[in-house]
Amino acid sequence: MDLKNQPVPEGSHLLEVDDLKMYFHTQDGVVKAVDGVSYNLDRGETLGVVGESGSGKSVTAMTIMGLIDMPPGKIEGGDVRYRGLSLFEMTEKQMQDIRGNDIAMVFQDPMTSLNPVYTIGRQLGEGLRLHRGYSKEQATKRAIELLDMVGIPNPEQRVKDYPHQFSGGMRQRVMIAMALACDPDILIADEPTTALDVTIQAQIIELMQEMQEKNGNAIIMITHDLGVVADVADKIMVMYAGRPVEFGTADEIFYNPVHPYTWGLVRSIPEALVDEKKPLTPIKGNPPSLVNVPKGCSFSPRCPYATDRCRNERPDTYTTETGHYSRCHYSMDPEFVAKNAPTNSRRRAEENGAADAVAGKGGEA
Amino acid sequence: MDKNTDMPIYAVDEKSGAQGGPVNQGSPEPETTAAAKPTRTLWSDAWGRLRKNKLAMIGAIWIIFIVIVALTCDLWAPQWLGSPTQIDSSQMSELSKLPPSAEHPFGTDALGRDVLCRVIYGSRISLSVGILATAISTVIGLVMGALAAYYGGIWDTIIMRLADIFLAFPYTLFVIVLIAVLGQSITNVFIAIGLLGWPSIARVFRSAILSVKENDYVDAARAMGASDARIVIRHIFPNSVASIVVYATMNIGGAILTESALSYLGMGVTPPTPSWGIMIEDGQTYLATQPWLMLFPGLAIITTVLAFTLLGDGLRDALDVKMKDA
Ligand SMILES: Nc1ncnc2c1ncn2[C@@H]1O[C@H](COP(=O)(O)OP(=O)(O)OP(=O)(O)O)[C@@H](O)[C@H]1O
Ligand SMILES: [Mg+2]
Repeated sequence: MDLKNQPVPEGSHLLEVDDLKMYFHTQDGVVKAVDGVSYNLDRGETLGVVGESGSGKSVTAMTIMGLIDMPPGKIEGGDVRYRGLSLFEMTEKQMQDIRGNDIAMVFQDPMTSLNPVYTIGRQLGEGLRLHRGYSKEQATKRAIELLDMVGIPNPEQRVKDYPHQFSGGMRQRVMIAMALACDPDILIADEPTTALDVTIQAQIIELMQEMQEKNGNAIIMITHDLGVVADVADKIMVMYAGRPVEFGTADEIFYNPVHPYTWGLVRSIPEALVDEKKPLTPIKGNPPSLVNVPKGCSFSPRCPYATDRCRNERPDTYTTETGHYSRCHYSMDPEFVAKNAPTNSRRRAEENGAADAVAGKGGEA
Repeated sequence: MDKNTDMPIYAVDEKSGAQGGPVNQGSPEPETTAAAKPTRTLWSDAWGRLRKNKLAMIGAIWIIFIVIVALTCDLWAPQWLGSPTQIDSSQMSELSKLPPSAEHPFGTDALGRDVLCRVIYGSRISLSVGILATAISTVIGLVMGALAAYYGGIWDTIIMRLADIFLAFPYTLFVIVLIAVLGQSITNVFIAIGLLGWPSIARVFRSAILSVKENDYVDAARAMGASDARIVIRHIFPNSVASIVVYATMNIGGAILTESALSYLGMGVTPPTPSWGIMIEDGQTYLATQPWLMLFPGLAIITTVLAFTLLGDGLRDALDVKMKDA
């Protein structure tokens, strides 16, 4: 059964993550690595997941794919539905059919994501042989097409090469080709460009967008750099200490952010420097250990605006009618937001507000 | 944007782990010429390095020589040197304990049999014990090591504690007890040595898997929908096989030694089948007067065991295996 060919049930989205909670039970205590993540995703959309190192971005993606070892991991609540079907109710065999075929993943480090003992062609064909029952010859033929598609010159020759004969940028192209081999509905890219230099980063991102236009798949793009997803994401989820602190369309996150942590991220995008002729403002302090999350708002120890209420009371999720949500006690206070939000984000909103609404992102669902 | 302008990035795999991928270090690969390069596999690189290791090559040549001798000796040894087992009672007193000569290069034993011929036939026992017993240990060790490392948790604890218990017993004593239980026969010697050899192989394989498992390509394969069995067989095994090859090679030498010790103690091969251990046992009475009776089988054991050890060492360097455990 190929789930991709089934229609998305009425009223459901392609992917629905609903208050997902996954904790690691370790000797040092319970690590709340994923603590209440929610979002929806449809075909053709790109979701950016942004947050500092250790905020649980990768673990969230791995949980959705069912790749977390249990134990030590354990699902503590919530659900993940793909085309209306709960992934947590699937057997391991059904999950194996979904992985690579319906939902595929590109990993952070292209240098170690390819097996050194197999040729590029063989690894590219693995998914096709697993999910489509291709013969060796068919898989090799398709592998050559895939290499060509992701812009590797001389694909007939290179398909016989081993990974160590490829450069980092080429390997990441191979990883993307591998993930796209079976036309997945959803491509999860976990910091696909952090290990690459800047020029190649741009090429890889462009390649993923190109492929998305061709195939219509959804992309979940994980990064610690808000700047990377600025141009490509339709929706953005900002994560902090295992929880999403703000979620909205890309325009909402860039031009109308309401959470102080998002403000910090916006202020630390280098472009703001050019715009404002002001020094970059790093967010001071370190994220909390996920074993010992502060009692109130998890960002309160680093938040310049924190009050006693923030330190003692966990903020609720405040959602606007567009689905833009935030977990800050004061995010619904327009005066507080107006006074403290980064001026550049608001000024940009005023300057190109009208233009952006039309020409910007088509994805405000 | 032009897609073919990737900066050449050094294709150096720092983390290829147990497999130790020899990569063309330091040679940046302009993409236009890369395709013209001959394909070098990781194994052919290892072979290139092994070939340069003189001691390992001497070991390998000696092993090949012994294997050929053992396989073909029926065709030429008896014609040349007489039967390795049969005793010609009519001529026994004349032929007994002759010193080495042109006719009997290694001399003759107390019963008038040619020592060279018996050493040659003894290699059959030694090699088959070494190889078969190691094969048994390796299969058991691989399964146990894979279960322990891949599933972890309770499996790991049970299997590794069991291995510790096995390793805590004096090995030779354990083999003797097992043969006493199973009954004395050459098959049981294979089985006993094989059964008791698994714990160290399991340890080596377990640690190799644990280090290979950390690699992203294992996660990537799982994310492509590969099953556990497929991941172990297709991804983890080929990358940890190097350490197993090294360990098994050395283990063959160990098994040969154990068989010799058993035969020497009278627990192994039964006379008149020639085994190096039995020959030493037979010869020790005459050590002072006819030393060749003991010298030549002793030399055969030493050189053969040494050859396996040298080859194993060379393989380890060539494959760059880091054996942390065992
Ligand atoms: N197997 C595990 N056992 C216990 N804790 C874990 C385990 N795996 C991950 N964690 C913890 O989960 C948290 C989230 O890790 P994750 O890898 O998702 O971070 P990330 O947001 O992807 O960071 P980065 O940008 O560095 O990749 C970290 O604090 C990490 O220590
Ligand atoms: Mg990560």
